[in-house]
Amino acid sequence: MFEKFQNAVLNGIQSPIQRNVILIGTLVTFMLSIAMIAPSKMVLAKMLPGKNNDTFTIYTTLVEGSSIQQTKKVTDCVVGLVQREKEVRDLEVFLGMGAPLDFAGLIKGSHLKNSENVAEIVLNLSKAHDRSEPSYFMVQRMRPTILKECGSIYKGTTISFVEPPAGPPVLAAIVAEIYGDDADGIRKLSNRVAGVLKSTEGLVDIEIMQDEIYDTFELHVNSTKVAKSGVNIKQLNDVLYLAFEGMQIAVKNSDIVSDQIPIYLSLSKESKKFSHKDIKAVKAKLSSLKLMNKMGMMIPITELVELTTKKSNPIIMSKNLHQMTNVMAETDMVSQVYPLMEARDVILSTFSDKYEIEEIGLFNLQLTDKQTSKIYKLIWDGEMEVTLDTFVELGAAFIAALVLIFLLMVIYYKSYTLSGIILLGSFLSIIGVIVGHWIMDIFTTDTFFLTATSLIGFIALIGISSRNSLLLIDFTKSLMNDKNMPKAEAIAYATATRAKPIFLTAAAIILASTLLAGDAVFGGLGVALIFGTVAAVVASLIIVPVLMYKADLEKHFSTD
Amino acid sequence: MNSYKPNDIAGKLAHGFLRNPLTVVLGIFLLSIGYLSLMIMPREENPQMVVSGSTVIVALPGASAAEIEKVIVKPLERKLKEVKGVEHISGMAMDNVGIVNAAFFIGEKKEDSNLKVYDKIMQNSGMFPKGAMNPIIKPLDIDVDIPVVSVAFYSKNEAMSKTELYDKVKDIQHKINGLPNVAVTEIKGGNRHQFNIEVDINKLSGYNISMGQIVQGVQSLSYSVPAVKNRTNENQIIMLGVKNAIESARDIGNIIIAQYMGSPIYLKQIAKVTDSYDIQNFKSAHISQRDESGNFTPLQEQVTLTISKLQGTNAVIIADAVKTELQTYKEALNKDSIGYTITRNDGQRANEAVNELVYHLVLSIVIIAILLILVLGWRESLIVTFTVPAILAITLFVAYLTDQTINRITLFAFLLSLGLLVDAAIIVIENIHRHLHSKDSADKTPDDIMIEATDEIGPPTNIATLAIIMTMVPMAFVGQMMGQFMKPIPANVPVALIASLFIAYIFTPYLAVRMLKKPDFKAKESH
Repeated sequence: MFEKFQNAVLNGIQSPIQRNVILIGTLVTFMLSIAMIAPSKMVLAKMLPGKNNDTFTIYTTLVEGSSIQQTKKVTDCVVGLVQREKEVRDLEVFLGMGAPLDFAGLIKGSHLKNSENVAEIVLNLSKAHDRSEPSYFMVQRMRPTILKECGSIYKGTTISFVEPPAGPPVLAAIVAEIYGDDADGIRKLSNRVAGVLKSTEGLVDIEIMQDEIYDTFELHVNSTKVAKSGVNIKQLNDVLYLAFEGMQIAVKNSDIVSDQIPIYLSLSKESKKFSHKDIKAVKAKLSSLKLMNKMGMMIPITELVELTTKKSNPIIMSKNLHQMTNVMAETDMVSQVYPLMEARDVILSTFSDKYEIEEIGLFNLQLTDKQTSKIYKLIWDGEMEVTLDTFVELGAAFIAALVLIFLLMVIYYKSYTLSGIILLGSFLSIIGVIVGHWIMDIFTTDTFFLTATSLIGFIALIGISSRNSLLLIDFTKSLMNDKNMPKAEAIAYATATRAKPIFLTAAAIILASTLLAGDAVFGGLGVALIFGTVAAVVASLIIVPVLMYKADLEKHFSTD
Repeated sequence: MNSYKPNDIAGKLAHGFLRNPLTVVLGIFLLSIGYLSLMIMPREENPQMVVSGSTVIVALPGASAAEIEKVIVKPLERKLKEVKGVEHISGMAMDNVGIVNAAFFIGEKKEDSNLKVYDKIMQNSGMFPKGAMNPIIKPLDIDVDIPVVSVAFYSKNEAMSKTELYDKVKDIQHKINGLPNVAVTEIKGGNRHQFNIEVDINKLSGYNISMGQIVQGVQSLSYSVPAVKNRTNENQIIMLGVKNAIESARDIGNIIIAQYMGSPIYLKQIAKVTDSYDIQNFKSAHISQRDESGNFTPLQEQVTLTISKLQGTNAVIIADAVKTELQTYKEALNKDSIGYTITRNDGQRANEAVNELVYHLVLSIVIIAILLILVLGWRESLIVTFTVPAILAITLFVAYLTDQTINRITLFAFLLSLGLLVDAAIIVIENIHRHLHSKDSADKTPDDIMIEATDEIGPPTNIATLAIIMTMVPMAFVGQMMGQFMKPIPANVPVALIASLFIAYIFTPYLAVRMLKKPDFKAKESH
């Protein structure tokens, strides 16, 4: 066994044909594995995969101005459907407010929710171990049914499914920030972008962070009349507020109850209700409300004001001092990178009817309205932005690691060629990382993504595989210098002797990583280590000897 | 006695500790500090992230969204832009209120950031328009804001009044808040006690009364004053108290609001006065859960108590404390027919995650030990296996000293380093093995063989380990959320690797010289 391998290496490195076959073969494999990511998309990239959780939350948001009763109707519908699920242990509905805050909710602003049109439903599932279906599959399965049955009760209802994130939380998987100077233009553009996102496959829970505009009534105070009647506007406002919203006008201290007991005044429920949503009904109601002036005379409110209808004032949002609106979307079990590119392509090709489109930065767009020549910007944020930043920074960390190792080797060997061989040998483990992800993707039911943790595994691999090459070169060196073996024999003997410890340490790493591979978040790291180590072993036992043979070893060793 | 002179740190360490009686003490000491750290380090599911930010809320009643944007949001945004370390500023202008949120770069110190925002607002408090209310500054605090435990209380008795549940939970809240390391407890859902005056609009206009008169009438009677203290001629103190005029709903109903045609109009004549709950509160919480038969109970009202912990404290311990505390009230709650369900227990979740990973870690060590037995022999395998807990112990202790917590990522860092950190020991033991079995060493003392074998592989092992540490160093500089999240990896793997070198150089020769036997070359030669 030992001799066979030694002879194989000896023959291999001395025959020019075999040498070339090995080197060209390596180059081709390398190109092919890179091609798996970029053009062919056989291996998909994502920041972090989904995690199998014991809980998730359903957010329901009705259009602005909806009542709590309407919201309850929607949540009741959702609860009805959720109760059919076998794996749900208990559920809590929070109407008009956010559920107890969690990490995802903190970023999504769940703690700021305080209106009648919102609700959150927390679902606690049975323990992940005892459950065959991961939570992300449950969400994927439940989403269409719930949307179909409950989302259609009131127009404009959004129902989104929020799972605890595997890593750092983000506002949404895809956030398109639409910047501009006029609210109407932003509104128009963001509605159109939302439309594109809605028709993109793989994107769900699309939401525009803007208020719907609805009809409201406004009281115009006739100041002359107010002054003449001997009342003031504060009185008028107070009475209106008291009548319809109600107010705590006094408190009573009590030793039985934990809080002060407020005394609350308002019109009774029946008296409060307008008969219709029109100006006449409002007027009729207001005519019964009176103000008392300083002389003790009663003046009906309708005498002092004029009623008009108007549109509601939507919230004006801004980020970094620029006015903008967010269009958000979640992904349905897919990486957000690819749907985003697809949506971007659609925007590029179809929006040119009304806008001049320019690309700014990597993915962002600048749109100029052809008629009004107003400028809008579309900036992608959310998980996309985090993914991009993370991959860029990890890539930089990877390059820095390569440089550091190279410098370390140069210091140790005082030779650029030998350091280069070690570096190249370690770099080839990327083949194993990519192919490993592709193999895992075939064997797992859901997509196995190349994640940020895969990159971390890859960075760690560089160090591990450089150790293999290092031991090999070190041993060859001592054989050539101390025992005066010829180059080819020394390389072959060293490779065969070092094969055992290289296999042993590789086996230790692979075995230690198998348990990592099963984890949702760190699966990528585990797979990268397992397959990368295999590739590293192959690289250091086959390719590194060939490269060493091609190098002028005598010269490099003698300089020491 | 030792004739071999070591050159490398590896040989020197081996030499120094080989016959030192303190080596075994050191071993036991390392294992025990590691175990202690594992026990006392706070456990969490995810690593702590330093996220700081503040929200400033300014109300200007009566202003429209566009007005708020101009006079509140925009000036506020400009001022917050001046604060160093702010990454994003987002503003929201709506009718009556403006909200501006400043998010700091990840990793900016929380206390400093909060102070900076507070300072900026207070220095410029003059910039707000006339009529604006005092700004409310709300700092973001993950530890305090995100509860680790939530408990839903519900009534089993349908006749129970809406406020009774709330009042009962309020009592429990106070007691749980007193537990050590509990930061904030909050109640979601439920209804508070309140006297309601619901006015009939027809009667209001019929009697020709304004709402203002009702307010005056009620306020004039709901005033309470402290007791008056006075002295008698003999200097005895006499207390004179004014009893609250309003004690019950009936008292409120009997308030005279106005005179109409000479006769008094009581509040009860024009309004319904009840002693009930806050009817204007549109918020409510409900729960539905599986009963014994596995069917869902219908949705019923509940009150959720949320409990958050102080920073750096152990979620597991707090969750358990809350659980036992609740257990003591169970009897009393049952009597009041109140049931409860724990709807979130991050402590338990963290503990399960940590325990599972510790189990994985042990499993991996066993698998590697078996592999080594097959390849190297059981004595060698035992030596290498011993080094693993010692290395992990050092790493854990260092992590404890640097205020880290045990979380998923720390344990993954351990799992990741596991494959790497047995290497040094394997290389040392393999070289010892080779030297022991080499004929050249037949005449050398075991001590010399150990030291020489260790010393020989010192330089390449050091440089290879240094190479792996080098790859981890740049990762520490990855910023953003992900960098923060992954920080335990670059923080712990290098420590584990350095520890693995020291342990391999100190303990491997120490154990080898006692456990491994030199083969009998003479016996072999006679064959």
